[in-house]
Amino acid sequence: MIEFRDVKASYDKDIQVLDGVSFTIQDGEFVAFVGTNGAGKSTTMRLMNGLLKPDAGQVLLDGVPTTELKTSQVAKRVGFLFQNPDSQICSGTVREELMFGFKALGESGPEVEARVDGVIREFGFNPDDDPFLLNRGTRQLLALASIVVLAPPVIILDEPTTGLDYKECKKVMDIISRLHEAGTTIVMVCHDMEVVADFAKRVIVMTAGRVVDDGPTFEVLRNPQTLTRASLIPPQVVDISIALPLMDERLAASPVAFANTLDEMQAAVVEEVGE
Amino acid sequence: MNGFLEYVPGDSLLHRLNPVTKIVFAVVFAISCFCTSNLIFLAVLLAAAIGLAASCGMLKQTAGLMKAVFAFSIILAVLLLLTNPSGDVLVELPWGYIGTGSIMAAVATILRLEAAAIPLFLTFYVTKMTDMSNAAVKVLHVPYKYAFTFASTVHFIPVFMNDMRSIMEAQTARGVEFDQGGIVNKVRLMVPLCVPLLVSSVRKTNSAAIAAEVRGFDLRTRESGYKTYPFTAADLAVIVLAVAILVAAIIVP
Repeated sequence: MIEFRDVKASYDKDIQVLDGVSFTIQDGEFVAFVGTNGAGKSTTMRLMNGLLKPDAGQVLLDGVPTTELKTSQVAKRVGFLFQNPDSQICSGTVREELMFGFKALGESGPEVEARVDGVIREFGFNPDDDPFLLNRGTRQLLALASIVVLAPPVIILDEPTTGLDYKECKKVMDIISRLHEAGTTIVMVCHDMEVVADFAKRVIVMTAGRVVDDGPTFEVLRNPQTLTRASLIPPQVVDISIALPLMDERLAASPVAFANTLDEMQAAVVEEVGE
Repeated sequence: MNGFLEYVPGDSLLHRLNPVTKIVFAVVFAISCFCTSNLIFLAVLLAAAIGLAASCGMLKQTAGLMKAVFAFSIILAVLLLLTNPSGDVLVELPWGYIGTGSIMAAVATILRLEAAAIPLFLTFYVTKMTDMSNAAVKVLHVPYKYAFTFASTVHFIPVFMNDMRSIMEAQTARGVEFDQGGIVNKVRLMVPLCVPLLVSSVRKTNSAAIAAEVRGFDLRTRESGYKTYPFTAADLAVIVLAVAILVAAIIVP
């Protein structure tokens, strides 16, 4: 469980990045943080894994303030996938890269070897490949794999799909989705509302260092005040289902006005046309 | 907040001087520091350098620089102490001795490096990098590609420092304890990080070179810049002062 209690944080004393942020993320949740650039999302992520300490308030990891935990203790519980995989990758081969985290934590042995082999198979890597010669999408997958191999109960993803094409994006998100189904808590910063709508179960909206909305994904993405305040464009299906009743009042009570996904919209349209 | 070697706006005399004057003064001042071993003269030069920093409101940055230079110069000073036996014997060593002359040489090294570094670094804090390279092209007739290379190199220092910070942060998130253990452990942990830094540096430099070329880098000549950099009386006075300091450094015993 991750808990923020009235957290204030800054990089420079003159610039307050977070201004009294509070929320709780329970084990097994899939939460997306959305908002404009500079809203404080990435700072919130850095606070979650102890890379940054709060100026005021508390960040609790399973009830323990991150200020009282060593980096390696946090790293065992919280994995962090950075936006740029090149910041993370530092080994000569894919296999060494996957072993790096274990070495940093002082772990080795047959169990570690087996876990690394398992992840290599699962992700379809060649263990002897040079990570720096892989393409951007594969490097991002390798960076994710090097987190996954450590099996942390919480994984934080800072814009995991930035710079990836559709196929690569789908592969990354499918793996993340499988991890979530297996019980991993996923916390993700994402600007792509389609990805948020497809995968996240809860959305926290941030603006100017504060949480302005927090709730189930489609409840938040259908809230006009939130969308305006955080300059968010909802997913296309949600956008259409909001727009149609405004164009024709007769559709206000139709299932079309409540469809959140493509499947729901298709069913609603069929029902509407059928009538 | 300004980063390492980033221009800090201001209206001090140093800010207003011709960029070429600042470069000449800083270089001549640094040479002067290496032309004398007189401790009092070096101390005066250091005090003058700190005074320069105060005159343009850069004391905070200068204090940071002095701290970094001190850490480096203390290593040289210790080496000098151990390898330069001179003066009256104070401590016997298996391979020689530490004498009064050794201590004087060590102190002179620290003062010399501190005094020489300050004006050189101040030049970057009080001069826009574009002005520095453009003035070198316009006044000193340095070919633009060389001036641009120098400006880009300096420009990339804070960028690479930022990259290194990101890389260290990414490894910290994976459990690497950079803040644990001694200096040897820190070096051991940081060496592998040079690989991603090198890779990202090469990628960034390559992108910058392509971006410059597609914007007509090769077409730029000395006449391309519209801004002129005339010398004023203050510039001439500063250059005369620099030469006087150099002469004094040479003739002071």
